[in-house]
Amino acid sequence: MLAGARDWLAGLGLGEFGATVLLGVALIMGYLTFNVLFLIWLERKVSAHIQRRFGPMEVGPHGSLQTVADMVKLLGKQILTPVATDKFVYILAPVLVFVPTLCLASLIPLSGAEAFANLPYGLVVLIALSGISVLAIFMAGWASNNKYAVLGGMRSVSQVIAYEIPILLAALSVVMIAQSLNLREIVAAQARGVPFALLQPVAAVLFFIGITAETNRAPFDIPEAESELVGGFHTEYSGMRFAMFFFAEYTNMLVLAALGATLFLGGWLGPWLPGPVWLLLKAYAIVFVMIWMRWTFPRLRFDQLMTFAWKLLIPVALVNLVITAFAVGGRR
Amino acid sequence: MKLARRVWIGAKSLLIGLGVTGRHLFRKPVTLQYPHEKPDASRWGGPIELRTFPETGTHDCIACNACTRICPSECIYVEGKRPEGSKKMRATLFTLDFSTCSLCGLCVDVCPTETLQYSKRYDEAMYTRPATVNDLLGPFGEDPYLTGKLK
Repeated sequence: MLAGARDWLAGLGLGEFGATVLLGVALIMGYLTFNVLFLIWLERKVSAHIQRRFGPMEVGPHGSLQTVADMVKLLGKQILTPVATDKFVYILAPVLVFVPTLCLASLIPLSGAEAFANLPYGLVVLIALSGISVLAIFMAGWASNNKYAVLGGMRSVSQVIAYEIPILLAALSVVMIAQSLNLREIVAAQARGVPFALLQPVAAVLFFIGITAETNRAPFDIPEAESELVGGFHTEYSGMRFAMFFFAEYTNMLVLAALGATLFLGGWLGPWLPGPVWLLLKAYAIVFVMIWMRWTFPRLRFDQLMTFAWKLLIPVALVNLVITAFAVGGRR
Repeated sequence: MKLARRVWIGAKSLLIGLGVTGRHLFRKPVTLQYPHEKPDASRWGGPIELRTFPETGTHDCIACNACTRICPSECIYVEGKRPEGSKKMRATLFTLDFSTCSLCGLCVDVCPTETLQYSKRYDEAMYTRPATVNDLLGPFGEDPYLTGKLK
Protein backbone atom coordinates (compact mmCIF):
# COMPACT_ATOMS: atom_id res chain seq x y z
CA MET A 1 0.00 0.00 0.00
CA LEU A 2 2.79 2.37 0.96
CA ALA A 3 4.72 1.53 -2.19
CA GLY A 4 1.58 2.26 -4.23
CA ALA A 5 1.13 5.63 -2.55
CA ARG A 6 4.78 6.42 -3.16
CA ASP A 7 4.54 5.55 -6.84
CA TRP A 8 1.40 7.65 -7.19
CA LEU A 9 3.12 10.64 -5.56
CA ALA A 10 6.24 10.10 -7.69
CA GLY A 11 3.99 10.18 -10.75
CA LEU A 12 2.86 13.69 -9.77
CA GLY A 13 6.33 14.95 -10.61
CA LEU A 14 7.95 14.80 -7.20
CA GLY A 15 10.46 12.14 -8.08
CA GLU A 16 11.12 8.97 -6.11
CA PHE A 17 13.08 10.70 -3.35
CA GLY A 18 10.62 13.55 -2.91
CA ALA A 19 7.70 11.14 -2.78
CA THR A 20 9.41 9.00 -0.14
CA VAL A 21 10.22 12.01 2.01
CA LEU A 22 6.72 13.41 1.69
CA LEU A 23 5.14 10.09 2.56
CA GLY A 24 7.45 9.59 5.53
CA VAL A 25 6.73 13.07 6.90
CA ALA A 26 3.00 12.55 6.42
CA LEU A 27 3.15 9.20 8.21
CA ILE A 28 5.18 10.49 11.15
CA MET A 29 3.11 13.68 11.49
CA GLY A 30 -0.10 11.71 11.24
CA TYR A 31 0.97 9.26 13.86
CA LEU A 32 2.26 11.99 16.18
CA THR A 33 -1.06 13.83 15.91
CA PHE A 34 -2.90 10.67 16.80
CA ASN A 35 -0.43 10.11 19.62
CA VAL A 36 -1.03 13.55 21.13
CA LEU A 37 -4.79 13.14 20.99
CA PHE A 38 -4.49 9.70 22.54
CA LEU A 39 -2.09 10.80 25.27
CA ILE A 40 -4.21 13.77 26.34
CA TRP A 41 -7.22 11.47 26.51
CA LEU A 42 -5.17 8.93 28.47
CA GLU A 43 -3.92 11.61 30.83
CA ARG A 44 -7.45 12.77 31.56
CA LYS A 45 -8.72 9.24 31.97
CA VAL A 46 -5.89 8.14 34.26
CA SER A 47 -6.19 11.28 36.38
CA ALA A 48 -9.95 10.80 36.60
CA HIS A 49 -9.74 7.17 37.65
CA ILE A 50 -6.99 7.87 40.20
CA GLN A 51 -9.39 10.44 41.68
CA ARG A 52 -12.26 7.93 41.37
CA ARG A 53 -14.02 9.90 38.66
CA PHE A 54 -15.01 8.88 35.12
CA GLY A 55 -13.28 11.60 33.14
CA PRO A 56 -14.52 12.45 29.66
CA MET A 57 -17.46 10.20 28.76
CA GLU A 58 -19.70 12.15 26.39
CA VAL A 59 -17.93 12.43 23.04
CA GLY A 60 -17.46 9.00 21.51
CA PRO A 61 -17.19 5.74 23.46
CA HIS A 62 -15.65 6.55 26.85
CA GLY A 63 -14.90 10.05 25.62
CA SER A 64 -12.33 8.84 23.13
CA LEU A 65 -13.21 11.61 20.65
CA GLN A 66 -13.15 14.34 23.30
CA THR A 67 -9.64 15.43 22.38
CA VAL A 68 -10.57 15.53 18.70
CA ALA A 69 -13.41 17.87 19.59
CA ASP A 70 -11.04 19.95 21.71
CA MET A 71 -8.58 20.24 18.86
CA VAL A 72 -11.28 21.31 16.42
CA LYS A 73 -12.35 23.91 18.96
CA LEU A 74 -8.79 25.20 19.36
CA LEU A 75 -8.37 25.33 15.57
CA GLY A 76 -11.48 27.46 15.29
CA LYS A 77 -10.48 29.90 18.00
CA GLN A 78 -9.22 33.38 17.41
CA ILE A 79 -5.45 33.68 17.72
CA LEU A 80 -4.72 36.64 19.95
CA THR A 81 -1.45 38.53 19.83
CA PRO A 82 -0.98 40.86 22.80
CA VAL A 83 0.15 44.36 21.89
CA ALA A 84 3.35 44.38 23.94
CA THR A 85 4.79 41.22 22.46
CA ASP A 86 7.88 40.90 20.32
CA LYS A 87 5.80 39.81 17.33
CA PHE A 88 8.36 37.91 15.29
CA VAL A 89 9.68 35.82 18.18
CA TYR A 90 6.20 35.42 19.61
CA ILE A 91 4.90 33.87 16.40
CA LEU A 92 8.05 31.84 15.77
CA ALA A 93 8.21 30.18 19.19
CA PRO A 94 5.26 27.76 18.92
CA VAL A 95 6.56 26.54 15.57
CA LEU A 96 10.11 26.21 16.79
CA VAL A 97 9.12 24.30 19.89
CA PHE A 98 7.81 21.56 17.67
CA VAL A 99 10.67 21.24 15.19
CA PRO A 100 13.31 19.59 17.43
CA THR A 101 10.74 17.12 18.69
CA LEU A 102 9.85 16.20 15.14
CA CYS A 103 13.52 15.71 14.27
CA LEU A 104 13.92 13.48 17.32
CA ALA A 105 10.95 11.38 16.29
CA SER A 106 12.58 10.53 12.98
CA LEU A 107 15.90 9.56 14.61
CA ILE A 108 14.69 6.70 16.77
CA PRO A 109 15.15 3.28 15.16
CA LEU A 110 11.80 1.54 14.83
CA SER A 111 12.86 -1.94 13.74
CA GLY A 112 16.51 -1.85 12.70
CA ALA A 113 15.46 -2.27 9.08
CA GLU A 114 14.48 1.21 7.97
CA ALA A 115 16.82 3.49 6.07
CA PHE A 116 16.78 6.40 8.48
CA ALA A 117 17.92 6.43 12.12
CA ASN A 118 21.27 4.87 11.33
CA LEU A 119 23.58 7.68 12.37
CA PRO A 120 26.95 6.67 13.84
CA TYR A 121 26.55 9.39 16.49
CA GLY A 122 22.77 9.17 16.78
CA LEU A 123 22.64 9.49 20.53
CA VAL A 124 24.64 12.71 20.53
CA VAL A 125 22.36 14.21 17.87
CA LEU A 126 19.30 13.17 19.84
CA ILE A 127 20.46 14.67 23.11
CA ALA A 128 21.65 17.85 21.41
CA LEU A 129 18.31 18.28 19.65
CA SER A 130 16.28 17.60 22.75
CA GLY A 131 18.01 20.55 24.40
CA ILE A 132 16.91 22.94 21.66
CA SER A 133 13.20 22.90 22.40
CA VAL A 134 13.90 24.72 25.66
CA LEU A 135 15.19 27.61 23.55
CA ALA A 136 11.75 27.90 21.96
CA ILE A 137 10.14 27.79 25.39
CA PHE A 138 12.34 30.64 26.55
CA MET A 139 11.58 32.54 23.35
CA ALA A 140 7.88 32.13 24.07
CA GLY A 141 8.31 33.36 27.62
CA TRP A 142 10.48 36.31 26.64
CA ALA A 143 8.45 37.43 23.64
CA SER A 144 5.21 37.35 25.61
CA ASN A 145 6.47 40.34 27.62
CA ASN A 146 4.70 39.04 30.70
CA LYS A 147 6.39 38.50 34.04
CA TYR A 148 4.84 35.09 34.61
CA ALA A 149 5.83 33.94 31.15
CA VAL A 150 9.41 35.17 31.57
CA LEU A 151 9.69 33.47 34.96
CA GLY A 152 8.32 30.26 33.50
CA GLY A 153 10.74 30.42 30.59
CA MET A 154 13.71 31.10 32.87
CA ARG A 155 12.78 28.26 35.16
CA SER A 156 12.47 25.98 32.18
CA VAL A 157 15.94 26.86 30.93
CA SER A 158 17.67 26.32 34.26
CA GLN A 159 15.75 23.11 34.83
CA VAL A 160 16.52 21.58 31.46
CA ILE A 161 20.22 22.54 31.67
CA ALA A 162 20.42 20.92 35.09
CA TYR A 163 18.64 17.73 34.10
CA GLU A 164 20.33 17.31 30.74
CA ILE A 165 23.56 16.37 32.55
CA PRO A 166 22.24 13.31 34.42
CA ILE A 167 20.46 12.21 31.22
CA LEU A 168 23.72 12.45 29.30
CA LEU A 169 25.74 10.70 32.02
CA ALA A 170 23.14 7.93 32.31
CA ALA A 171 23.12 7.48 28.54
CA LEU A 172 26.93 7.44 28.52
CA SER A 173 27.10 4.51 30.90
CA VAL A 174 24.93 2.61 28.43
CA VAL A 175 27.18 3.71 25.59
CA MET A 176 30.19 2.33 27.46
CA ILE A 177 28.68 -1.11 27.64
CA ALA A 178 27.37 -1.07 24.07
CA GLN A 179 30.62 0.48 22.75
CA SER A 180 28.63 2.60 20.30
CA LEU A 181 26.71 5.83 19.99
CA ASN A 182 24.57 4.41 17.22
CA LEU A 183 21.14 3.59 18.61
CA ARG A 184 20.86 0.54 16.37
CA GLU A 185 24.12 -0.84 17.70
CA ILE A 186 22.94 -0.18 21.25
CA VAL A 187 19.81 -2.22 20.63
CA ALA A 188 21.87 -4.90 18.89
CA ALA A 189 24.11 -5.07 21.99
CA GLN A 190 21.00 -5.66 24.08
CA ALA A 191 19.92 -8.40 21.71
CA ARG A 192 23.18 -10.23 22.49
CA GLY A 193 22.75 -9.84 26.24
CA VAL A 194 20.01 -8.51 28.51
CA PRO A 195 18.20 -5.15 28.41
CA PHE A 196 20.48 -2.50 29.88
CA ALA A 197 17.90 -1.65 32.53
CA LEU A 198 19.06 -4.84 34.29
CA LEU A 199 22.77 -4.04 33.90
CA GLN A 200 22.34 -0.35 34.67
CA PRO A 201 19.38 0.03 37.05
CA VAL A 202 20.76 3.25 38.54
CA ALA A 203 21.29 4.78 35.12
CA ALA A 204 17.78 3.73 34.08
CA VAL A 205 16.25 5.46 37.10
CA LEU A 206 18.38 8.56 36.54
CA PHE A 207 17.40 8.65 32.89
CA PHE A 208 13.73 8.32 33.76
CA ILE A 209 13.91 11.16 36.29
CA GLY A 210 15.81 13.22 33.75
CA ILE A 211 13.29 12.81 30.94
CA THR A 212 10.44 13.56 33.34
CA ALA A 213 12.14 16.86 34.16
CA GLU A 214 13.08 17.50 30.54
CA THR A 215 9.47 17.21 29.39
CA ASN A 216 8.39 19.57 32.20
CA ARG A 217 6.18 16.92 33.73
CA ALA A 218 5.08 16.78 37.36
CA PRO A 219 6.69 16.66 39.89
CA PHE A 220 9.10 18.82 37.89
CA ASP A 221 6.49 20.98 36.14
CA ILE A 222 7.53 24.28 37.69
CA PRO A 223 7.89 26.09 34.33
CA GLU A 224 4.11 26.00 34.11
CA ALA A 225 3.28 25.77 37.80
CA GLU A 226 -0.28 27.00 37.51
CA SER A 227 -0.60 27.79 41.21
CA GLU A 228 2.24 30.33 41.05
CA LEU A 229 2.77 31.27 37.42
CA VAL A 230 -0.74 31.27 35.90
CA GLY A 231 0.20 29.30 32.76
CA GLY A 232 3.97 29.74 32.84
CA PHE A 233 5.62 30.36 29.49
CA HIS A 234 2.38 29.89 27.51
CA THR A 235 0.29 32.33 29.55
CA GLU A 236 -0.15 34.73 26.63
CA TYR A 237 -0.79 32.11 23.96
CA SER A 238 -4.24 31.17 22.74
CA GLY A 239 -5.89 29.03 20.12
CA MET A 240 -3.75 26.81 17.96
CA ARG A 241 -0.51 28.47 19.07
CA PHE A 242 -1.21 27.29 22.59
CA ALA A 243 -2.13 23.89 21.21
CA MET A 244 1.29 23.70 19.54
CA PHE A 245 2.97 23.84 22.96
CA PHE A 246 0.67 21.10 24.16
CA PHE A 247 1.42 19.15 21.03
CA ALA A 248 5.16 19.51 21.56
CA GLU A 249 4.96 18.52 25.21
CA TYR A 250 3.11 15.29 24.57
CA THR A 251 5.15 14.40 21.50
CA ASN A 252 8.29 15.03 23.50
CA MET A 253 7.02 12.65 26.15
CA LEU A 254 6.56 9.86 23.64
CA VAL A 255 9.84 10.49 21.85
CA LEU A 256 11.95 10.64 24.98
CA ALA A 257 10.15 7.61 26.37
CA ALA A 258 10.95 5.82 23.10
CA LEU A 259 14.58 6.86 23.52
CA GLY A 260 14.53 5.47 27.05
CA ALA A 261 13.00 2.24 25.77
CA THR A 262 15.73 2.04 23.13
CA LEU A 263 18.54 2.62 25.59
CA PHE A 264 17.33 0.57 28.52
CA LEU A 265 14.48 -1.74 27.56
CA GLY A 266 15.80 -3.26 24.35
CA GLY A 267 14.05 -0.99 21.83
CA TRP A 268 12.26 -2.93 19.15
CA LEU A 269 13.33 -6.33 20.50
CA GLY A 270 10.58 -8.67 21.60
CA PRO A 271 8.91 -11.90 20.61
CA TRP A 272 5.89 -12.40 18.29
CA LEU A 273 4.99 -8.77 17.60
CA PRO A 274 6.76 -6.64 14.96
CA GLY A 275 9.52 -4.28 16.11
CA PRO A 276 7.76 -0.89 15.95
CA VAL A 277 4.87 -2.29 17.99
CA TRP A 278 7.24 -3.43 20.70
CA LEU A 279 9.02 -0.09 20.75
CA LEU A 280 5.73 1.77 21.06
CA LEU A 281 4.47 -0.60 23.76
CA LYS A 282 7.59 -0.02 25.83
CA ALA A 283 7.47 3.73 25.21
CA TYR A 284 3.81 3.93 26.20
CA ALA A 285 4.53 1.95 29.34
CA ILE A 286 7.09 4.62 30.31
CA VAL A 287 4.65 7.40 29.38
CA PHE A 288 1.97 5.74 31.50
CA VAL A 289 4.28 5.77 34.51
CA MET A 290 4.96 9.46 33.86
CA ILE A 291 1.24 10.19 33.81
CA TRP A 292 0.73 8.07 36.90
CA MET A 293 3.48 10.02 38.69
CA ARG A 294 1.92 13.32 37.73
CA TRP A 295 -1.26 12.47 39.58
CA THR A 296 0.57 11.12 42.62
CA PHE A 297 3.39 13.48 43.52
CA PRO A 298 3.22 17.12 44.55
CA ARG A 299 5.29 19.67 42.69
CA LEU A 300 8.84 20.34 43.92
CA ARG A 301 9.85 23.77 45.07
CA PHE A 302 12.33 25.40 42.71
CA ASP A 303 15.35 25.25 45.05
CA GLN A 304 14.52 21.62 45.88
CA LEU A 305 14.46 20.88 42.18
CA MET A 306 17.90 22.39 41.60
CA THR A 307 19.35 20.79 44.74
CA PHE A 308 18.01 17.44 43.63
CA ALA A 309 19.69 17.71 40.24
CA TRP A 310 23.06 19.18 41.21
CA LYS A 311 23.62 17.65 44.61
CA LEU A 312 22.15 14.21 44.11
CA LEU A 313 21.49 13.16 40.52
CA ILE A 314 24.73 14.38 38.98
CA PRO A 315 27.09 12.95 41.67
CA VAL A 316 25.24 9.63 41.57
CA ALA A 317 25.41 9.60 37.78
CA LEU A 318 29.13 10.35 37.85
CA VAL A 319 29.84 7.60 40.39
CA ASN A 320 27.75 5.22 38.32
CA LEU A 321 29.69 6.19 35.22
CA VAL A 322 33.07 5.61 36.91
CA ILE A 323 31.99 2.22 38.27
CA THR A 324 30.73 1.25 34.81
CA ALA A 325 34.00 2.35 33.26
CA PHE A 326 35.99 0.17 35.65
CA ALA A 327 33.65 -2.79 35.16
CA VAL A 328 33.81 -2.50 31.38
CA GLY A 329 37.59 -1.97 31.47
CA GLY A 330 38.06 -4.93 33.80
CA ARG A 331 36.26 -7.30 31.44
CA ARG A 332 38.45 -6.46 28.48
CA MET B 1 25.59 7.14 54.74
CA LYS B 2 22.99 9.41 56.25
CA LEU B 3 22.25 10.80 52.81
CA ALA B 4 21.93 7.32 51.32
CA ARG B 5 19.46 6.44 54.05
CA ARG B 6 17.43 9.56 53.39
CA VAL B 7 17.36 8.89 49.67
CA TRP B 8 16.30 5.30 50.30
CA ILE B 9 13.47 6.36 52.63
CA GLY B 10 12.38 9.04 50.17
CA ALA B 11 12.36 6.65 47.22
CA LYS B 12 10.40 4.10 49.24
CA SER B 13 7.78 6.69 50.18
CA LEU B 14 7.43 7.66 46.52
CA LEU B 15 6.79 4.02 45.60
CA ILE B 16 4.23 3.71 48.40
CA GLY B 17 2.52 6.83 47.04
CA LEU B 18 2.41 5.32 43.57
CA GLY B 19 0.93 2.19 45.12
CA VAL B 20 -1.87 4.19 46.73
CA THR B 21 -2.86 5.96 43.52
CA GLY B 22 -2.34 2.75 41.54
CA ARG B 23 -4.87 0.96 43.73
CA HIS B 24 -7.42 3.71 43.27
CA LEU B 25 -6.88 3.63 39.51
CA PHE B 26 -8.67 0.30 39.25
CA ARG B 27 -11.43 0.95 41.75
CA LYS B 28 -14.93 1.89 40.74
CA PRO B 29 -15.52 5.64 40.31
CA VAL B 30 -17.72 7.10 43.01
CA THR B 31 -19.21 9.88 40.88
CA LEU B 32 -22.48 9.74 38.95
CA GLN B 33 -22.84 10.50 35.24
CA TYR B 34 -25.28 13.20 36.21
CA PRO B 35 -27.75 13.86 33.42
CA HIS B 36 -27.85 10.15 32.60
CA GLU B 37 -27.76 8.81 36.14
CA LYS B 38 -29.56 10.54 38.96
CA PRO B 39 -29.02 10.05 42.68
CA ASP B 40 -31.51 8.12 44.82
CA ALA B 41 -33.84 10.85 46.13
CA SER B 42 -36.29 8.57 47.94
CA ARG B 43 -35.19 9.80 51.38
CA TRP B 44 -34.61 13.37 50.31
CA GLY B 45 -36.63 16.23 51.78
CA GLY B 46 -36.91 18.93 49.13
CA PRO B 47 -39.15 22.01 49.01
CA ILE B 48 -42.55 21.41 50.57
CA GLU B 49 -45.55 20.37 48.50
CA LEU B 50 -49.21 19.59 49.14
CA ARG B 51 -50.06 15.91 49.44
CA THR B 52 -52.79 14.44 47.26
CA PHE B 53 -55.16 12.27 49.30
CA PRO B 54 -56.46 9.23 47.40
CA GLU B 55 -59.98 9.51 48.94
CA THR B 56 -60.65 12.97 47.52
CA GLY B 57 -58.08 13.15 44.76
CA THR B 58 -56.95 16.55 45.95
CA HIS B 59 -55.11 18.25 48.80
CA ASP B 60 -56.61 19.06 52.15
CA CYS B 61 -55.31 22.56 52.88
CA ILE B 62 -57.82 24.46 55.00
CA ALA B 63 -55.90 27.75 54.90
CA CYS B 64 -55.52 27.71 58.69
CA ASN B 65 -52.24 29.64 58.37
CA ALA B 66 -50.53 27.52 61.03
CA CYS B 67 -47.60 27.08 58.66
CA THR B 68 -47.44 30.80 57.93
CA ARG B 69 -47.28 31.59 61.63
CA ILE B 70 -44.67 29.04 62.57
CA CYS B 71 -42.41 29.62 59.60
CA PRO B 72 -39.20 31.24 60.94
CA SER B 73 -38.27 32.59 57.51
CA GLU B 74 -41.75 33.91 56.75
CA CYS B 75 -41.60 32.40 53.31
CA ILE B 76 -45.12 30.91 53.16
CA TYR B 77 -48.15 32.90 52.09
CA VAL B 78 -51.64 31.39 52.15
CA GLU B 79 -55.01 32.81 51.18
CA GLY B 80 -58.28 30.96 51.66
CA LYS B 81 -62.00 31.12 50.98
CA ARG B 82 -64.98 29.34 52.50
CA PRO B 83 -66.99 27.39 49.93
CA GLU B 84 -70.73 27.97 50.20
CA GLY B 85 -72.42 25.75 52.75
CA SER B 86 -69.18 24.51 54.24
CA LYS B 87 -67.53 24.96 57.60
CA LYS B 88 -63.98 24.34 56.33
CA MET B 89 -61.91 26.92 54.53
CA ARG B 90 -60.14 26.04 51.28
CA ALA B 91 -56.82 27.49 50.13
CA THR B 92 -57.03 29.68 47.07
CA LEU B 93 -53.37 30.65 47.05
CA PHE B 94 -50.38 28.90 48.58
CA THR B 95 -46.91 30.23 47.72
CA LEU B 96 -43.52 29.25 49.06
CA ASP B 97 -40.60 31.63 48.55
CA PHE B 98 -37.89 28.98 48.27
CA SER B 99 -35.10 31.58 48.22
CA THR B 100 -35.54 32.11 51.96
CA CYS B 101 -36.82 28.65 52.96
CA SER B 102 -34.35 26.75 55.14
CA LEU B 103 -36.18 23.42 54.87
CA CYS B 104 -36.57 23.31 58.68
CA GLY B 105 -39.79 21.31 58.36
CA LEU B 106 -41.76 23.13 61.10
CA CYS B 107 -44.64 23.70 58.64
CA VAL B 108 -44.75 19.97 57.85
CA ASP B 109 -44.91 19.16 61.58
CA VAL B 110 -47.54 21.77 62.44
CA CYS B 111 -49.96 21.11 59.57
CA PRO B 112 -53.22 19.93 61.22
CA THR B 113 -54.50 18.07 58.17
CA GLU B 114 -51.10 16.59 57.34
CA THR B 115 -51.38 17.83 53.79
CA LEU B 116 -47.92 19.43 53.80
CA GLN B 117 -45.00 17.16 53.02
CA TYR B 118 -41.46 17.29 51.70
CA SER B 119 -41.17 16.77 47.98
CA LYS B 120 -38.48 14.63 46.35
CA ARG B 121 -37.24 17.46 44.14
CA TYR B 122 -33.51 18.12 44.57
CA ASP B 123 -32.37 19.96 41.46
CA GLU B 124 -33.92 23.33 42.25
CA ALA B 125 -32.09 25.79 40.07
CA MET B 126 -33.65 28.79 38.40
CA TYR B 127 -32.57 31.82 36.43
CA THR B 128 -34.62 34.62 38.01
CA ARG B 129 -35.54 35.61 41.53
CA PRO B 130 -39.34 35.48 40.91
CA ALA B 131 -38.89 31.89 39.75
CA THR B 132 -37.89 30.89 43.29
CA VAL B 133 -41.49 31.41 44.42
CA ASN B 134 -43.30 28.08 44.15
CA ASP B 135 -47.05 27.98 43.57
CA LEU B 136 -48.04 24.91 45.55
CA LEU B 137 -51.63 24.89 44.28
CA GLY B 138 -50.49 25.02 40.68
CA PRO B 139 -50.47 21.24 40.05
CA PHE B 140 -54.02 20.83 41.40
CA GLY B 141 -55.89 23.05 38.94
CA GLU B 142 -59.53 23.75 39.69
CA ASP B 143 -60.55 23.14 43.30
CA PRO B 144 -63.43 20.64 43.48
CA TYR B 145 -64.69 22.07 46.79
CA LEU B 146 -64.84 25.63 45.55
CA THR B 147 -66.58 24.65 42.32
CA GLY B 148 -69.06 22.56 44.27
CA LYS B 149 -68.09 19.18 42.84
CA LEU B 150 -67.22 17.92 46.32
CA LYS B 151 -68.95 18.75 49.60
